[in-house]
Amino acid sequence: MSPSFKAGAREGFRVCLPVSVGLVPWALVTGLAMVSAGFTPVQAMGMSFIVFGATAQLGTLPLIAIGAPWWLILATALVVNLRFLIFSAALAGPLAGGTLLQRWLCGYLLTDGVFATCLERLRSDADPVWRLGYYLAPSLWCALVWQSSTLTGVLAAGAIPRGWSLEFMASIALLVLLVPMARVRPMLVAMLTGGVLSVLLRGLPLRLGVMAAIVAGIAAGFATEHLQKKAEAR
Amino acid sequence: MNYDASLWLTFILIGLATLLPRASFIVLGQRASLPEAVQKALRYAPAAALAAIVVPDVVLVNGAPELFNPKLGAAIAAVLAVTLSRNPWLPFVAGMAVLWGLR
Repeated sequence: MSPSFKAGAREGFRVCLPVSVGLVPWALVTGLAMVSAGFTPVQAMGMSFIVFGATAQLGTLPLIAIGAPWWLILATALVVNLRFLIFSAALAGPLAGGTLLQRWLCGYLLTDGVFATCLERLRSDADPVWRLGYYLAPSLWCALVWQSSTLTGVLAAGAIPRGWSLEFMASIALLVLLVPMARVRPMLVAMLTGGVLSVLLRGLPLRLGVMAAIVAGIAAGFATEHLQKKAEAR
Repeated sequence: MNYDASLWLTFILIGLATLLPRASFIVLGQRASLPEAVQKALRYAPAAALAAIVVPDVVLVNGAPELFNPKLGAAIAAVLAVTLSRNPWLPFVAGMAVLWGLR
């Protein structure tokens, strides 16, 4: 491992530590949910390693439980994962220095938290090896935290009282990420648009409302940036 | 409830539906690219996506918006903690304390 990979890895690990804390309750809940859908511990951990995506796992569980057709399960999983296309496109340039195997690994490990935390530095740092370390180290750490917490949830199913609402720590972690972004005006507009529309469109099937809200939020942020530039030019 | 071998096929389908969007552009690399304007717009993706996920989580109670609920109080406490302090654990402590306190 080169010194520059190690330096990137250390920095990435440091900035993503709070995000990984927020994964713990979420993974516990996902573990509990899979067992309560009727999976054996081996099946639950199998799904956790094959899919490694909370939204896709939690979104398809009810469909699996009622014996829905395979194409409906597949379509649901694809729709909730569409956001990753956007994230992957944003990461393609910064991670282009990795080998093919490393890039498949980067893809498998792509999570919302690491993406949101690391994107800005990944786009600005000039050293491709540093960037790879800065992305891979926290991603591997988050996967480790995720899988061990899921296993804990699977094994502890039934013993943790639901009244504790520990899954709310995942929401707190997302808020911790959002606050510093909100200091830039167009980002704040993107956020408000995405958040409000997601609530208003919650009735749409297959969680399409979330997708629509994200796309509208991005458009609103982009438009605000445009208007700001025009105003400055005057 | 019992499942047969097809459950593992279902896992693989869901796994592919998750891996392929994630890996798409990272793996294709230089052979595929998005226009500059799209790249610029992408900078707003994390903010929009995270807000679209977290806001319903905080304001909806049993599927309907409710402005005075413990989760919103907890969210405000967490946001204040991030704004006023650099301690990385404080938002979690303050948020969960308010959540349990308001219940």
